[in-house]
Amino acid sequence: MIKSPKIIEDVRINNDIDVELKNITKEANIIDQKIDEPPIKGPPSTNRNINIFYIIMELIHNFLKSSFGNDKPVETTSILQLIIYYFNHLILLQLFFVIAIYKNIQFIYRKIYLKYLTLTSYPNKSPSVIRQDVVKLSKIPKVLSCLLDLKDDDDENGGKDGLINDICELTAWSISSSIERLIIYEYSGLLSQSYDSLIDLRKYIKKNLGLYFGTDAIPTFSIKIPQKNLIIYSNESKEVDIQIDLISRIDGKPTLVELTKTMSELALTKELALKDITIDLIDEELMELVGPEPDLLISFAPSLNLEDYPPWHIRLTEIYWEPDNKDVNYAVFIRALQQFSNCKINIGK
Amino acid sequence: MSDWISTFPGYKNLLSASKKIIGKIISTGSVPSHVGIIMDGNRRYAKSHKIEIKEGHNLGFETMANILELLYESGVKVTTVYAFSIENFKRSSFEVQWLMDLAKSKFNQINQHGFLCEEYGVKIKIIGNLKMLPDDVLVVLKETEEITKNNTRAVLNVCFPYTSRDEITTSIKNVVEETMRNPTIEINENLIESNLYTKDNPPVELLIRTSGTYRLSDFMLWQAVSPNCKIVFINQLWPNFKPWDMIKILINFAFEKYWYANENSKFVNTYYDSEDETITSDNEYTMTKAI
Repeated sequence: MIKSPKIIEDVRINNDIDVELKNITKEANIIDQKIDEPPIKGPPSTNRNINIFYIIMELIHNFLKSSFGNDKPVETTSILQLIIYYFNHLILLQLFFVIAIYKNIQFIYRKIYLKYLTLTSYPNKSPSVIRQDVVKLSKIPKVLSCLLDLKDDDDENGGKDGLINDICELTAWSISSSIERLIIYEYSGLLSQSYDSLIDLRKYIKKNLGLYFGTDAIPTFSIKIPQKNLIIYSNESKEVDIQIDLISRIDGKPTLVELTKTMSELALTKELALKDITIDLIDEELMELVGPEPDLLISFAPSLNLEDYPPWHIRLTEIYWEPDNKDVNYAVFIRALQQFSNCKINIGK
Repeated sequence: MSDWISTFPGYKNLLSASKKIIGKIISTGSVPSHVGIIMDGNRRYAKSHKIEIKEGHNLGFETMANILELLYESGVKVTTVYAFSIENFKRSSFEVQWLMDLAKSKFNQINQHGFLCEEYGVKIKIIGNLKMLPDDVLVVLKETEEITKNNTRAVLNVCFPYTSRDEITTSIKNVVEETMRNPTIEINENLIESNLYTKDNPPVELLIRTSGTYRLSDFMLWQAVSPNCKIVFINQLWPNFKPWDMIKILINFAFEKYWYANENSKFVNTYYDSEDETITSDNEYTMTKAI
């Protein structure tokens, strides 16, 4: 039987990462400057621009176009079949028209409802308000994961600064509801690209926590980037109230590929037997390389799309998302916790 | 109310005829080529309706046949159903035995009478860790695969017994074994993907879970995280899941595809003739934003 740290080390060496967990807190304390980063695009289809008039205009346009033009290839031969096909397609398009109107009404209703919720459950930057909300719940997740979308720089609360702002808020809410670990998933991994953005993030989280908890009693935290095997602490002590992990697409399928590569290298040199590759071994390696399985995943995207989230880790994760919601707001956060407290996991039973 | 209607003569025919018509209509739009279904809630249904658990599983099977009929009418190529998880072996031995017997009897029925397979040309494939099954069940399942192997119109994957982690592990194992024979192979995501149980099927585009549980429960994890896969959670228990609910999901799927595809393709056609998919999709992204 092979000792598992060997595999992990090999994976990290293959990826040009330090074998030892590197603590850059001290370095970060010295450096404090900003460099512009080229923006990385989010995955397609995470962004929606819905405007009722635009949609209706376009639908009418498309409806006319496709009912009279041949924009859809049809592989039928006889004229009768062709007529039946277009007749059916026409019915479908008419249905779409009705659905489009319905969806827009629903969209507006949801937006208003969310605004209402945001107003009624505003945390007011006070941990005690959050505490009161959380105390009512029968259980809270130990490990919380949030899926954030990188918005365009021009959007409200968009770009890198918006992302940092969102993480700051999430951290404050998580600490107030005594969650021990927060895993932030962002498709492009923009924040884990450089030390500087990490340092920025630390600075802003500290500032924001100061607003919540008062400047004399700022809770301690650490930010970890599993992909680079880096960690940064909020101050010198290593006892933290919350650990924040920043993960991205690379921690999902590509990490599984790396693991496979390393295993096959070890198998070639006869250091690993084929029968030793088990679910438990892979699980152990991935927990070390990426992090724990989250109990709850909150997606702050308008539609449910997992965007290449690490597949191994969402086995039993409760998934929550609010349709048509694009922002990170407290109402969504607390509703996700409420849903989690009502769910019951019984594996296989 | 609906019970009362169903006693009328010709109700069944009417139902399947309307399914055919609706299926035809749906099939003119975009249809997911591969649908995954987690059929959850048979036991809760049995408990809440005060019937025996095995009756609940029986009803679940009927629902499945009902839904599959609609899916194949609408032009879905592959359906994967989560029939039995490896974790389900943890249930009482009594119930496991009963589920095995149910599977055996149903597959026997398929072997003898054809079920949907003849009518729709369905090829049945059993996927999962077959080593864990008792021999007598395995024989029946193999026979079904053998009988239906020449059907080409549609595929039904039955996950029995299956977990996604097991699938991924098996795939990794196969890849490692392959590289031991031929060390020059480049390991990448596609290679792992082509060693999954669903290797011959198109990518999963729609994943449905019933019974109001918002978890994937170890089903098609690798396939479900792909950005092209739409996940739908439904509050009904599986025996309550009616073809009407499926119709709504399919039309919704077609609508979203139609709407967003049109929005994107417009820009691809007008501005780019590039064949590089990643570049176009990135550009689409910025272009759609620009409006």
